[in-house]
Amino acid sequence: MDAQLKRGLLDICVLAAIKDEDSYGYRIIKDLKPYVELSESTLYTILKRLEGGGMLTVRSAEHDGRLRKYYHITQAGVLRIEEFKEDWKEIESIYQFVMREEKQHE
Amino acid sequence: MNKREFLQSVENGLSGLPREDIEQRLSFYGEMIDDRIEDGFSEEEAVAGIGTPAEIVAQIIEETPLPRIIRERVRPKRKLGALEIILLVLGSPVWIAIAASLFAVVVLLYAVLWALTIVLWAVFISLIAGGIGALALGILALCRGEIPQGLALLGCALVLCGLSIFLFFAAKGATKGAAILVKKLARGIKSLFVGKERSA
Repeated sequence: MDAQLKRGLLDICVLAAIKDEDSYGYRIIKDLKPYVELSESTLYTILKRLEGGGMLTVRSAEHDGRLRKYYHITQAGVLRIEEFKEDWKEIESIYQFVMREEKQHE
Repeated sequence: MNKREFLQSVENGLSGLPREDIEQRLSFYGEMIDDRIEDGFSEEEAVAGIGTPAEIVAQIIEETPLPRIIRERVRPKRKLGALEIILLVLGSPVWIAIAASLFAVVVLLYAVLWALTIVLWAVFISLIAGGIGALALGILALCRGEIPQGLALLGCALVLCGLSIFLFFAAKGATKGAAILVKKLARGIKSLFVGKERSA
């Protein structure tokens, strides 16, 4: 897949993974696993980028005698997911158009 | 490899990056390993699942912008003494000159790389422009009844356009190659600053 496109999609995936409740790094990777393979290093970069863009906030909480970072989606993050849904409709209709062309050639 | 060895190895590889960046990375990977262990993996498995320290270090260095690395490297680790400041000032004609020439070498390397590709594109453009010009002149000559001149010009136009197609692929290839070399160059320069000093 095109690297630029994939980067944008992974951002959405991570936002979607923390949308309903706050989550932590390992759980985000596990939750996404059935859908998309994500390495720890890639996740780190995405989380930093989303935090820098104000899409999520981070807090440390104690778990089992150690600190764990929890990620919380912001209003801007929720909005980003909504934008993606709108974009997707457009992509979907472009896809339909491309497939129609291909059917005609068959 | 256990968690401590893994984190130590990553830390060594990253020395030279801002301390804050290193701490954040280490705590992130540490948390990941702990969570994997909690999930039922052995410590060895948990570490292995994350990747080798070398891979991780390479990726982090690639993601860190060069100015950030250099700024960290240039900043003194402690307050400078009066003697050191005097020496720095007195030695400035020497070290500024050396630093400036090193910087110039890097800039030159980039410039040469891009100049080569620009030259190829320029040749391509002049060939195609020449080809179109010859074509137009050839048609004009034919219209005026100068058959031999017209045919000769049309022949030239064909040769020029043919060469330009060849040049187009050469220039395209060179651009791609230069982009890869620029990336490699950046990696090489960064590795001069990062990971060389072993943290005690």
